[in-house]
Amino acid sequence: MNEIEQTGLATMRDCWITGGTSFELAPAAWKDIAAGANPDERERRLLAIAAQALEIALRPAAPKTLKRRPPLPELALPMLPERLRPLLRAALKHAADARSKSRVVALVASRGFVLHPMDWMPAASDQTSPDVYAPWIDWQAGVDGEKHTSREQLTAQNWDEFYPAARRTALADMRRTAPALARQLIETKGASEPAEVRLALIALMHFALGPDDVPFLKSLSADRSGKVRELAGRLLARLGQHGKPGDGGPEDPISELAAFITEGKSGFIRRRTTYAPTKLKSPAQERRRAELFETCNLVDLADRFGVSESDFIGAWQFGADNNVDILVARMVAASGSDAAVTHMADTLVAEGGKPALFVLHLMPRLDSRRQRVLIRLILKDTQYLGALSLAEGVEAGWLDWADLTNGKTLPALRTAVAGNDDAVKRGVDQLLETLGFLATAEAAEKLIGDVVAAGMAPAAPSLALLRLNACLTRP
Amino acid sequence: MEFDLKTIEALAPDQASLSAASKLTRQSNWPRLEKNEELALIWGECQGSGSNPYRVVVDTGDHGYKCTCPSRKFPCKHTLALMWIATTAPASFTAAGSTPEWVNDWLGRRRKTTSQPAAPAPGAAGKSIGEASRDDESAVVEDAAAIERREAAQRKRAEDTRSSVSAALDELDQWISDQLRLGLAGFVDNSSDRCRRIAARLVDMKATALAGRIDEIPSRLMGLRSEERPDAAIRELGKLVLLAKAWRSTPDDAELKRLVSTSESREQVIANPDAIQVESLWEVLGEKIETRRDGLVSHSTWLLDLNSAAPQFALLLDYFPASAGRRSNAFTPGDRFDARLVFYPARQPLRALVVERKGDVSSREWPDFGFDKADPLAAHVAHQDTAPWLTDCPVMLPPGAILLDDRGEAWWQSTDNPHGIALPIADTVNPTLLGLDLAATAALWSGSRLHLLAAQSGFGRLDLS
Repeated sequence: MNEIEQTGLATMRDCWITGGTSFELAPAAWKDIAAGANPDERERRLLAIAAQALEIALRPAAPKTLKRRPPLPELALPMLPERLRPLLRAALKHAADARSKSRVVALVASRGFVLHPMDWMPAASDQTSPDVYAPWIDWQAGVDGEKHTSREQLTAQNWDEFYPAARRTALADMRRTAPALARQLIETKGASEPAEVRLALIALMHFALGPDDVPFLKSLSADRSGKVRELAGRLLARLGQHGKPGDGGPEDPISELAAFITEGKSGFIRRRTTYAPTKLKSPAQERRRAELFETCNLVDLADRFGVSESDFIGAWQFGADNNVDILVARMVAASGSDAAVTHMADTLVAEGGKPALFVLHLMPRLDSRRQRVLIRLILKDTQYLGALSLAEGVEAGWLDWADLTNGKTLPALRTAVAGNDDAVKRGVDQLLETLGFLATAEAAEKLIGDVVAAGMAPAAPSLALLRLNACLTRP
Repeated sequence: MEFDLKTIEALAPDQASLSAASKLTRQSNWPRLEKNEELALIWGECQGSGSNPYRVVVDTGDHGYKCTCPSRKFPCKHTLALMWIATTAPASFTAAGSTPEWVNDWLGRRRKTTSQPAAPAPGAAGKSIGEASRDDESAVVEDAAAIERREAAQRKRAEDTRSSVSAALDELDQWISDQLRLGLAGFVDNSSDRCRRIAARLVDMKATALAGRIDEIPSRLMGLRSEERPDAAIRELGKLVLLAKAWRSTPDDAELKRLVSTSESREQVIANPDAIQVESLWEVLGEKIETRRDGLVSHSTWLLDLNSAAPQFALLLDYFPASAGRRSNAFTPGDRFDARLVFYPARQPLRALVVERKGDVSSREWPDFGFDKADPLAAHVAHQDTAPWLTDCPVMLPPGAILLDDRGEAWWQSTDNPHGIALPIADTVNPTLLGLDLAATAALWSGSRLHLLAAQSGFGRLDLS
């Protein structure tokens, strides 16, 4: 379209917008086509020409301000094979919340694959995805800049060249292999980071936490962030270091918490000390006790009663009040020493039954051997199968078929599937989802066959993760 | 298989359903018939009046069934026909080791009940398979005089339709002139009412397809920014002028008749010697599902011919009443299958029917199409040259990327020519897409916006529809 036609088209367009005849405004060549007809027909002919001119001859111009995001980085693991993507999408669709979705992601990563970015992307704030996704988390959070994720060793000099998630991953790795070096980096560079980042960096100290970390952690008692001070206190407590000594008066939190605990004796021949939750008179008191359990450290509480952490745990009367038992378990998980955590886990597992379930709150502090023992124990007993979904920080894809055939789990599942109780069936769905995460590929396949034989629809959405698991073999 | 004809009689809601089912028992209606004896399931795809086949599955154990057709009769004629074939010609079913995903979906959703004898439906008394079969036979022995009478009536109806449509187009012309005289600013503001009125007139005068198109103009305009709407109105109305003129010059042209009044039936398209048939490997690029103002849902499925050196597309178009609820899709984006398609005769053949669907094929990269890098919309220009009334044109874009402008709206831009044209994208894009290099992108160009269908990237195939 030449310039005359463009100008003509613009004036005709303006004329039509307000209403009227545009014949006199049309370019000469267009007029020739339209001429010889009645006025209405002339306008329609011109309209047809203008329509085609707009359709073909005018092209959108690229705005000068178009911005391009940096390319999405490729990850270190291969992409999930195309044929498995429908199964993955079904599993993600069935996973109701972010936690369930992250278990799907963790299972896939445990078999050596990453997800397609259009199927799932970690959020910029994600801190629970497998480490392999760090470049994507940084890409999500990334401002447009020149920084690139470095594959070199993290040092104080190249600290700023790492995006946050990549830096966190590198630091966690370093903490496992060279904890002192990592601590020095956190000490040197962490101070200038905002409180939220500082908190995340100091949280990494739980890897290979040792006595060498005490001076640095103590120095954090003067940190300007309350959350950092609290975290440092808990890490110190894990190393057996007492928090700020209280005055022992009624305002001292440890004394206040101790007042909610009844010290007693048991046994006729060998009298031994016991600790049990005091019966409280009001919900307000119960709330206060819960708050205190969340803020106090095990080592300080045990010290208040003049016993060691292990002795305190050994003397605690589990079963008296489930809610308080859970609070104790959480306090131990947050601030107990490694020895105290293992002691409590072993004691409860040995006791079996319901108390064993409280170990679920200790899961993130337990080694994988103990985690597996506990899960096998729960599966064997079957009384509290639902509690399995509470387990955090457990490895994916290790539960064998023998673990399922060893106890009452399979018969219980079959009965529930064959029955008509909707509430029970919802429980089954949840358990199958959990087992979909824990099972080996072989166990997953056999489990699908088993529950389908018991009457479950082969395409039931609750089997989605098991189906993915069964097809997901290492590259 | 646990069926006998008595069971089918008992299940049928009325005699009419049985009669309709008997006509569907021909093998030619069923491009796919499969069974899984272990799961006591039979299923098949029945070619109905739409372009997409209806999917039917029956549990031979408890007589549970599901069909994707919009019928309100349960079981529908397709289900009855599938059962009928299972009874009379069980060998027609191929044994399948695994069940397709849509059958799995149904199995996953359904709640099994204990088998109960089918209660006769109201008005179901006196149903008979024998009578249904006789219906079919009696149709065969229609006498020559009756055929002559029927054909004469058809010719008369066609003549009446033509003169009625001609009058409708006269009214349309006048209406377009009125819009220009009154001003397009007013038209844009009141397009909903104005288009509704003329569309209703066109329906009365048998220009049904054109009425449907005009009914959609308001939503097409409203999808644009206000400053773009006058130009879009010029384009929409100008194309109507061209279409009306083309129809007047050749009212018997199949493409124009289809765009103005009514479409041919499936049988007519298949029987038409001018209809091109293409047997190839097809990939489902994506879908576009729109609820129209006339209460119909249009379901477009776009296919790409993977054996063609230049990008060749096919459109499977289906309509069903919105009141029938969401239909399960016959095709999933990314599916690949060998099939023979017949294209509705047109200057730029796009709309097609699946005549014969063969086995599914595993996925792979798209072929390396030779792109016209100077003009990514070259295919659109070619389409407009021969059929300027077309609105949405499928295009295969060369290597490019998606970028954002200041307002946060997305644009596709060619990698090789970042200072050339950029095409605005109609919908919000997944933010992940902004970080991907697109080796090739299949999309629909509406003249002002790009509707993405699918793309190839370093991360493999991307579903974008």
